[in-house]
Amino acid sequence: MAKVTRRKMIQTGLAAGAFLTATRCSSAPKGTPNNPATGPEVNTNQSKEVTLRFIGTGVSQINEIRDKAQEDLGFKLDMRALSTEENNQIAITQPGQYDIFDGEYFSLPLVVPSGNLQALDISRIKNWDKIVPFFTTGKFKGMPVENSQGTTPFTVMYLTGPDSTEFSPTPTDYATLVPFQYNADTLGYRPDLTGRQIESWSALFDEEFKGKTSILDIPQIGIMDAAMVAEAAGLMTFADKGNMTKKEIDQITEILKEQKRNGQFRAFWKTFDESVNLMTSGEVILQSMWSPAVTAVRAKEIECIYAPLKEGYRGWGGGIGLSQNLEGMALDAAYEYMNWMLDGWVGSFLGRQGYYSAVPETAKEYMTPEEWAYWYEGEPAASDIVDPFGNTLEKAGAVRDGGSFEERFGNIVVWNSTMDENTYLVQKWNEFIAS
Amino acid sequence: MLKKRSLSFYLLLIFFCLFVLFLYGPIIAIVLLSLQGPDGQLMFPVRSFGVYWLGQVFQEQRVGNFVEPFKRSLTLGLLVTAIAIAVSVPAAMAFRSRFRGASVILYLTIASLIVPSVLVSLGIGILFQVMGWPTNWFSSGLGAHLTWTVPFAFLIMLGVFNRFDPSYEEAARDLGASGVKTFQEIVLPLIAPSLIGITILGFTLSYDEFTRTSLVSGQDNTLPLEVFGMTTNVTSPALYALGTLTTIFSFAMIAIAYSGYRIYSQRQRGG
Amino acid sequence: MSKLKALRPYFLVAPQTIVLLIFLVLPIVLIGVVSFWEFNGYSMTPAFTLDNYRGVLTSSVTLDTYLNTFKYVVLVWAVCLAMAFPVAYFLSFCIDNPRLQVILFLICTIPFWTSNIIRMIAWIPVLGREGLVNQALTGLGLVETPVAWLLYSDFAVVVGLVYLYAFFMIAPIFNSLMRIDRRLITAAQDMGASGFQILKEVILPLAAPGISIGSIFVVTLVMGEFITVRLMGGGQSASVGKLINTQIGSLQYPLAAANAVVLLAVTLLLVVLILRTVDVRKEM
Repeated sequence: MAKVTRRKMIQTGLAAGAFLTATRCSSAPKGTPNNPATGPEVNTNQSKEVTLRFIGTGVSQINEIRDKAQEDLGFKLDMRALSTEENNQIAITQPGQYDIFDGEYFSLPLVVPSGNLQALDISRIKNWDKIVPFFTTGKFKGMPVENSQGTTPFTVMYLTGPDSTEFSPTPTDYATLVPFQYNADTLGYRPDLTGRQIESWSALFDEEFKGKTSILDIPQIGIMDAAMVAEAAGLMTFADKGNMTKKEIDQITEILKEQKRNGQFRAFWKTFDESVNLMTSGEVILQSMWSPAVTAVRAKEIECIYAPLKEGYRGWGGGIGLSQNLEGMALDAAYEYMNWMLDGWVGSFLGRQGYYSAVPETAKEYMTPEEWAYWYEGEPAASDIVDPFGNTLEKAGAVRDGGSFEERFGNIVVWNSTMDENTYLVQKWNEFIAS
Repeated sequence: MLKKRSLSFYLLLIFFCLFVLFLYGPIIAIVLLSLQGPDGQLMFPVRSFGVYWLGQVFQEQRVGNFVEPFKRSLTLGLLVTAIAIAVSVPAAMAFRSRFRGASVILYLTIASLIVPSVLVSLGIGILFQVMGWPTNWFSSGLGAHLTWTVPFAFLIMLGVFNRFDPSYEEAARDLGASGVKTFQEIVLPLIAPSLIGITILGFTLSYDEFTRTSLVSGQDNTLPLEVFGMTTNVTSPALYALGTLTTIFSFAMIAIAYSGYRIYSQRQRGG
Repeated sequence: MSKLKALRPYFLVAPQTIVLLIFLVLPIVLIGVVSFWEFNGYSMTPAFTLDNYRGVLTSSVTLDTYLNTFKYVVLVWAVCLAMAFPVAYFLSFCIDNPRLQVILFLICTIPFWTSNIIRMIAWIPVLGREGLVNQALTGLGLVETPVAWLLYSDFAVVVGLVYLYAFFMIAPIFNSLMRIDRRLITAAQDMGASGFQILKEVILPLAAPGISIGSIFVVTLVMGEFITVRLMGGGQSASVGKLINTQIGSLQYPLAAANAVVLLAVTLLLVVLILRTVDVRKEM
């Protein structure tokens, strides 16, 4: 070993200088803030020193949002895009690495007990009362979502006190996360390759799509999709999908393992961009999907439908929370950001990718009436629909899959869930993935 | 060279060519895919030709960027190499004389190479967590890289000193040179070419390291980690463009190293 | 003075040993300790429980995962060897010009100096359902529908691993072959040995240490591998490394630690077995 390596080494020697040259070449322009001169001048001079470090998923850790926030607020934001798994992992084990946790409500039963988040003072959130009532009170026009199963945002929204790590079943003055984006998730498919319309979750296990489906590999989310599919296909029933018993977990993972053995799945994915790549490359034609993934596929001029299914949707909600180590000026800045976030610009930006804003009425002010009608009201597009990155998603006349906000959100039947048996679930899920 | 080639020669030649095709095929594929116009996709066919995506690498991505991690990996690589040389050269020198415990040290060093990488990553992660230290690429990440580079550097130096004639040093010492002076004047010039080799090897091993770093890089990614993040977050040929650029970077390094060596050896011969 | 001289080697090895103690020995000891701890969804607590090992050793998934990992190890090892030996043989015995030898060796090794992750994803446009190979196959009319098992399959994982680690087999074998005294072969020829006999009786035994060093590298690298298994297997293929990684991802550190201890034991056992068959000390 030694001789060969050494000889080769000598031959490849003397390159140290090359590194230096290469470094210089690489210090290429960074396409950062467009016009840094703007922004409030007088009283925020000090907070300009502040940098808020975010952790979150690629869903919302978007450079455009950061740039706009820096421009409007005057302080710096540092965003990190992680997988859902890593995001929770860092939130729980590395509190020193972030100031703001941008995560999902289902993560809270894991993150909150770690004591790494501080309670939000609701009185400092200007638009709190305008937030869609389902998040703050659990009510939504008497629609099916009010009886949905799983970790509904409302149940983990409030803390019993300012220093508490216990959830309060009724509203208090202290919240865990300020919601800002959420959606009704479902299966996505390529109609050109499936050859037919998909109307039920059970299609994921259909023989005809063998080897061409995918499910997401995040236990607390994937299990909910799997439960919807298994129930729709008549393979099993659950007392409460949002809080399965060990026996139910055993049964559902057994079903999943069998499907895997039979070659039903093509791949599993962990971040939504992976699902985009699977879909655009034709590897997968029917899979669990998130809405920005669907819009990203369409932006590549590939047909992709976000199927409204007869059994209803799987809901999720994301918000931002404060790290325990925020204080003083940085804490003020964090609240400033939260208020800015609910002020409408972010809502409209994310809305154009298919998410809903926690405060739809402010987002509406930043959207054109045509956009609003298409995304929220389920009306046919009056003009071409363009995503925030400038790609055309739909030609005029198209209608959003699943229709209006009420039709979609109101028909959520399960939420991403951290169950009582979470540890067991994760263990069994890992076995399924490893099987 | 004119002797008649046997059949087995040609069979082996064909096999060798197929092997080279296997090695370079995928690389050529991503180079082609990265040289597309703005309408390029992740799969063939190539729609149009252009350098659009190469430029995109240096622009801000929708999430993350490549430039900062590249600088980080570069710094880390140099740091790791410097430390690896600083600890492995004396260690290998120690092995020129017999001492009690030598074989334990040798096995420990070899163990560092053959322990499955995931253990190093998990172990250092747990160590830092238990101690309450924050993980960072320049602390825990550095340590993880050392477990991979130090053994290589050590084994190479061991080989070098095995073939090293101690009479030069004895002569120097007889002439009254101190230990430090002997090392500077005699040993160092003789092992210099090997040190350059170790520098390249150590740097490359560190620059490409993924598994051992994966759990312990802290909040800032090294380049391989960022690239892996990109495989899950980038849906455009910018990903391949990055592949093309890093491959060119590696090729350039080897080319410069090779020509540098040739100049060096010619000068040696000439001088 | 002589006492100082006796201590000299210890001063010299101290820095390296300290580095390895901190970043290798201590972490592995901690893995051993933590493997007895308890955990819930978000934290671990010091304790002494055998539950983690019970979980690892009684689960049928552990066995399946190990079998699957061994399958990869054996396949990758066999393919690497089958590939590396002829290539190294060709380079060392069929090429007489030393300069050409160096250049060809460099050609074989340059790709191994570039980023592993990039080299991995490079296979996706080649092997995918709409990839190059499938386009060629359907274009030539050899198959009607694209072949799916080329990507996101065991096949893809093996291809990926061979692609990553073949170098670790080629270099030591090439090194061994280059050290063989050419006079031995001439002598064998003079004694009337056939080409095959020379290969079997002279070259192979002398190349054995190189083969076993290469084997140790390939086996240990593949045993703990997870990233290739994930990327090329589409998240579907199982390996011990990936299982551990998934457990780490869901914060089940003690369980991951117990698995890691078992993995370490199995890997070391394999290394010992390889070392038993061939004495590699000559190569050092």
